[in-house]
Amino acid sequence: MTETSLIVENLRKTFRTTVAVEDVTFEVRRGEFFSLLGPSGCGKTTTLRCIAGLEKPDKGRIIIGGKDVTNLPPQMRNVGLVFQEYAVFPHMTVYENIAFGLEVKKFPKGEIHKRVLRMAELLNLEEYLNIRAGRLAQALMQRVALARSIVVEPEILLLDEPLTLVDAKIKELMRRELRRYQKELGITILHVTHDQLEAMMVSDRIGVMCQGKILQIGTPIEIYDKPDSIFVARFIGSPTMNLIEGRLEQHNDELFLDADDARIPLYGVPSEKSKLNSYIGKIVVLGVRPEDIEISTQPMKGYFTGKIALIESIGNKLEIIVELNSITLYALSPPRTDLKVGQSIHLKLRPMKVHIFDKTTEKNIMLEEV
Amino acid sequence: MGTASKVLRIVAIAIYMVWLIIPIAWTLSLSFKPYLEWRSPHFWPKDPTLLNYKILFFYEREIAGTTGGTALTKPMITPLINTLIVVGISTIIAVIIGFFTAYGASRYNSPGPFSLYFTLLTRMVPPATFVTPVLVYYRTLGLLDTQLGLILLYAAATVTYSIWILKGFIDQIPREWEEAAILEGLSPFRAMMKVTLPLIKSSLLVSGLFIFLMNYSEFLFALVLTTKEAVTLPVHLTTYVGGSGALYGAQAACGIVASIIPLIIGYVIQKHLITGLTFGMVRA
Repeated sequence: MTETSLIVENLRKTFRTTVAVEDVTFEVRRGEFFSLLGPSGCGKTTTLRCIAGLEKPDKGRIIIGGKDVTNLPPQMRNVGLVFQEYAVFPHMTVYENIAFGLEVKKFPKGEIHKRVLRMAELLNLEEYLNIRAGRLAQALMQRVALARSIVVEPEILLLDEPLTLVDAKIKELMRRELRRYQKELGITILHVTHDQLEAMMVSDRIGVMCQGKILQIGTPIEIYDKPDSIFVARFIGSPTMNLIEGRLEQHNDELFLDADDARIPLYGVPSEKSKLNSYIGKIVVLGVRPEDIEISTQPMKGYFTGKIALIESIGNKLEIIVELNSITLYALSPPRTDLKVGQSIHLKLRPMKVHIFDKTTEKNIMLEEV
Repeated sequence: MGTASKVLRIVAIAIYMVWLIIPIAWTLSLSFKPYLEWRSPHFWPKDPTLLNYKILFFYEREIAGTTGGTALTKPMITPLINTLIVVGISTIIAVIIGFFTAYGASRYNSPGPFSLYFTLLTRMVPPATFVTPVLVYYRTLGLLDTQLGLILLYAAATVTYSIWILKGFIDQIPREWEEAAILEGLSPFRAMMKVTLPLIKSSLLVSGLFIFLMNYSEFLFALVLTTKEAVTLPVHLTTYVGGSGALYGAQAACGIVASIIPLIIGYVIQKHLITGLTFGMVRA
C-alpha cells in the first residue's frame, strides 16, 4: 500500500489550439480530501477528465494507487466520478443505480444486495431505493451518484462540481455530509470546484488553478493566510482582499505605501525576514483582508485617516467602505452604531496580516525567504 | 381575445379533422357498396354488401354480373404477407443501422471530408432517377421479383430517416451518463447498449413506425421490381380492375384492410409516440 493515491506529473492537454491544461503536477495522499479550485475555464475539469481517462493527455503521467494508468482506458483505472449534472441513470431505480457498478464487476447477488443496503443506510437513501432516479431532486441525485461511486470502493473518487446545482440551503448541509462520509469511510477524494467557500469547508488541501496551471497548493488556512500570488489572494476570501498598487517608501525607519494621492503606513510590518527592504522605492501591490483592518473613531499612533463612503450591514458584520482620496478600502467591523457615512475614520492594518506582492511577478514578497 | 383565439383554434382543428376524415369515411362506405352504387354520390350504401371483401380473399373468383363485367382477381393474402415481411424486415434493418450510425455521428468526429450529410444525397435526387439503374442491377443480381430485393432497397432508402431522427435524440442524451457507466467498468460499447439504448427506446419505436409507414405505402419501386412473387399491397391494389374499369369497391375494401395494420401498430406504441416525439420522459 502506497501513501499516495494519485500522482499527476506534468500533465498537459490541448484542444486544437487552446491549451486547457498547461503543466499540472500534484499528488493526493490516501484518505485525503483534495480540491482543485479555480475559475471556470482554468482547466480543472479537464485535469479531472484526464485522470478519469475520459480525455487523453498530450503529455505527462498519471499514477493511481502506485500504477501508471496514463494509457489505460477509464474502465480499468479504478476511479469513481460524480458529475455536476446527469450523474445518475434516470431510467433505473435508485437501487439499480447503486448496484450498477457491482453488477458490472460481477459481484454475487447477495453481496450486491448487502452492499447496496449498507450504502443506502449510510447516505440516508433507504426510502428512495425503489424510485426511478430521474424523478429525484438534484441533491438526492447527487447523493445517489455518490453512493454508486463509493460502493465499488474505488482507489480515488473524483467529484466534478458535484454541488453546483444544488440549492444553497441544502448545499451547506451536503458539504458537511460529504466531509463526514469521506472521513467515516476513509475515501480519497479529488474534488473540483469554482466555489472557494466550498473548497475551504471540505478540503484537507487545496490546489488553486488558473489558466491551466496550479498556482499554489496548501491547506485551506495556508491558502487563506499566505497566498503566494495576487491571483490566489484575490480569488480566496469573501469579501475580497484589498489590493492597492503603490510605491514602497521608507521614512524615519517606517515603511509606507505611496499610492498616488494617498499614503498608507505599514506600521510594524516585519521586514527583516523577507526581501521587503530590497523593494523600497519600487512599485508593489499591497494586500490586506477587510477583517485585518482595525478601525477607530479616535486618531491613534500608526493609524491613518480616511472617509466613510458607504456602510453595508451583512447581518453579523458591517462592511465599511472607506475612501482615501482616490483609493477605496473595504473593512469589516462588528455591528456598531457610532459610524456615519461621510465621517472621518482612522484605520490600521494588522502588521502580521499584510501581504506585499511584486508588481511584475505577482508573487508574495513576504513569503520569500531572504 | 383569449376566447376568440380559442374558438378559432377549435374551428381550425375541426376543419382539418373533416379534411382528414372525409376520404377515409368515403372509402369505408364505398367498400360496402354494390357495383351499381360505386359511382353514385350518396354516402350511405342503399344496398350494403360484403362482396367487395369477399373478392379480397378468394382466389380468381369470377365476379361477372354483379360487378358489371368479368374480372379475374387474386386474393390479397400473398401480397399482404409479402408486404409484412419486406416492410417489417427492412424497417428493422434501417432502425438498427440508423441507431449505430447516428450514435457514431453523435459521439465521434467523422474523419476527413466525410460527413453525415452525405447520407442525405440519396434524398436529394428524385427516386424515379434510380428506377432504371436499380432495375438493371437487380436483373443481373437476380433480385428482381424477390422479397430480398425489396428489403435491401427499402432499408437503404429509409436508413437516412432513421439516422437523422435518431441522431437528434441521441444528441440530447448527455455523454456523462455513458461516461459514468464506463467508469463503473463497462466498455464503451456496453455502456451504449446499457445506458443509451434503453433511454431512446421510445425514439426507436417512433422512427420505426415512421419508416414502416413509408415503406408500407411505397409504390414506384415495388411496381417496377416485382411482377408475381414479391408483389406488395400497393401494387396489388392496382390489380383490381375488371372488364369495365377499376373495381372501386374492391380497391376501397383492400385499402381499408391494409389500413388496419398501421392502425394497430400505432395504437400499441401510442404511449411511446408522445415520449418519443417530445423526449419528455428521459429527464422526468
